Amino acid sequence: MKLLTKYNRINVAVTVIIMLVTGIIYYYTISHILTNQIDKDLVLEENEVFSYVSKNHHLPDVYESNHQQIAFMKLGSGKVKRRFVDTVYHDLDEKDMEAGRALISSVNVSGQNYSILVTQSKVETEDLIQVVFLITIGVIVILLVVLLLLNRIILKSIWKPFYKVLSQLKGFSLADNASVNSTPSTIDEFTELDHAVTSMADRVKSDYQNLKVFTENASHELMTPISVINSKLDTLVQTDDFTDKQSKLLNDIYGTVTRLTRLNKSMLLLAKIENGLIQDIQQVNMREVLEDSIYQHEEMILQLGITLKTKLGNKLLNANRALMEILVNNLISNAIRHNYQAGSLSILLDAEKLSIINTGKHAFNFEQVLKRFQKSDGSEGIGLGLTLCKQICDKYGFKLQYQGDKDSHVFSVLF
Amino acid sequence: MKILVIEDETGLRDSIEAYFTGSDSICEVAADFSSALAKVSLYRYDCVILDLTLPQGNGLDIVRHLKENGRDDGVLIISAKNSLDDRLTGLDLGADDYLTKPFHLSELRSRVMAIVRRRAFNGSNNLKFNEIDIDLDAKAVKVNGTAVKFTRKEYSLLLYFIANKGKVVSKSAIAEHLWGDSIDIADNFDFIYSHIKNIRKKLVEAGAKDYIQAAYGMGYKFIVA
Repeated sequence: MKLLTKYNRINVAVTVIIMLVTGIIYYYTISHILTNQIDKDLVLEENEVFSYVSKNHHLPDVYESNHQQIAFMKLGSGKVKRRFVDTVYHDLDEKDMEAGRALISSVNVSGQNYSILVTQSKVETEDLIQVVFLITIGVIVILLVVLLLLNRIILKSIWKPFYKVLSQLKGFSLADNASVNSTPSTIDEFTELDHAVTSMADRVKSDYQNLKVFTENASHELMTPISVINSKLDTLVQTDDFTDKQSKLLNDIYGTVTRLTRLNKSMLLLAKIENGLIQDIQQVNMREVLEDSIYQHEEMILQLGITLKTKLGNKLLNANRALMEILVNNLISNAIRHNYQAGSLSILLDAEKLSIINTGKHAFNFEQVLKRFQKSDGSEGIGLGLTLCKQICDKYGFKLQYQGDKDSHVFSVLF
Repeated sequence: MKILVIEDETGLRDSIEAYFTGSDSICEVAADFSSALAKVSLYRYDCVILDLTLPQGNGLDIVRHLKENGRDDGVLIISAKNSLDDRLTGLDLGADDYLTKPFHLSELRSRVMAIVRRRAFNGSNNLKFNEIDIDLDAKAVKVNGTAVKFTRKEYSLLLYFIANKGKVVSKSAIAEHLWGDSIDIADNFDFIYSHIKNIRKKLVEAGAKDYIQAAYGMGYKFIVA
């Protein structure tokens, strides 16, 4: 729920309740005051009857006015309890039934008891209360409308800095270089929020930057010792005769150093792509890149007895050639490595996309494999191949897609 | 053949020196910028193997120095940096080739030999080894005057062996040379074996000696008869 909605809801509820309570109190107070007023009139009339009777010793004539009626009735021995009652007033002119107020009392005229009933119409009182009530309702409605509009306008403008900060946070990405801009505000809370957000963003960015630089430097520094090991190995194998056991050990070391080199180069390359250090954009003929890569893989294709189908159109791209080679080599290597004996491999290239379709041994989770050092079961790679592909695609705005099931895998690069 | 190795990392410098010192070549070394500059100012080399990051200086300045003085010594840059900037600057300044660390010594030697050959033979670019005659421009191989047909990889491997004749070349070095480092052939050296088998068969059938020997299961050696 939006803050404005929530705020309005509470506001409206409270306003309506207060207004209703006020209205009810108002109604009863006014109605009470007015009834008292009528009662006073009624008592006045009663007193007039009493004074008339004590002076003249008979009942006064019954007269009619348009707001008051009086009636006498002979009583037996019992007395009547003096009381005020709400009753109905019969208006003689208009033949209407109106709300009325009556006073029942009694008088003794020459030993005979009479009851007195003085009735007065309450219609004017009711009218007054109605007007008061309508005015109250009107005020509530106007107040609510004004409140809603005002809230809307004020909140919209007051919360503007907040939404600006929020939209910047939503768009925040570690990978791009744009930093979070400061959003000035006259409200202390928002200024504080803004400071917190900008300083957090800057800190995160600089930490991330440091990490990337560290990765790059570390990979770099590792290259020298690795090349020393490599060269020492190359020198060692020149020296003497080796036993089978020794040469097996040397082979293992060679293999491990090669793996280490490859891993380190991949990490370095990843860091470089992420740091935006790879420029050198040139026109790359993807068809040539693919043909080269297929040529490089021909032994493996042949060994597995894979049926290779290619349909290569022409596609020129503006990119770094080395990166395109890595992308294509990784995808084709995977398609062969995860293939089975006498499987198939199709490589299709047109202006929109490159598709590599292969039969394969295992189903795997594409999103998982995209993560660093995540390998599908039985993979012999170092676990950075697809991460690199994804990074390269991201760098040039290509889309790397995967579709597949247990038996067939389709990797597509949409240019 | 006279080589100068400019490299500050002792381990690597010693290995390169040991690998390049032999019957047909002299290898000198320099460990820092000033001694390197002094050596290239005093002597001429067929090829200078140059590390870019040196104590007290940038290796690129040595390339600049050579070119400014009109020297045509071959220059091969070796560097852990493979940022394209360095590569382009180095090659723009007149370096002949660029090799990224880490590398195999056999790869280094094959690159150096290529540079030396390019400089030595002006015009006719032929490489002769006993009865084997290779036309480097046409990429054609003749044995005792008879043309022998090699595939691209076999041809490249033959040149690699001749450049490293008398040395044991490891299988990983061969794999890296043939397939580059972006293709992981995953410890599967069967492919190397079949290529070498083909080369030997073709050479022997054309009447050449069987030069290539397996070396203790680690690699192969092109023997100098």
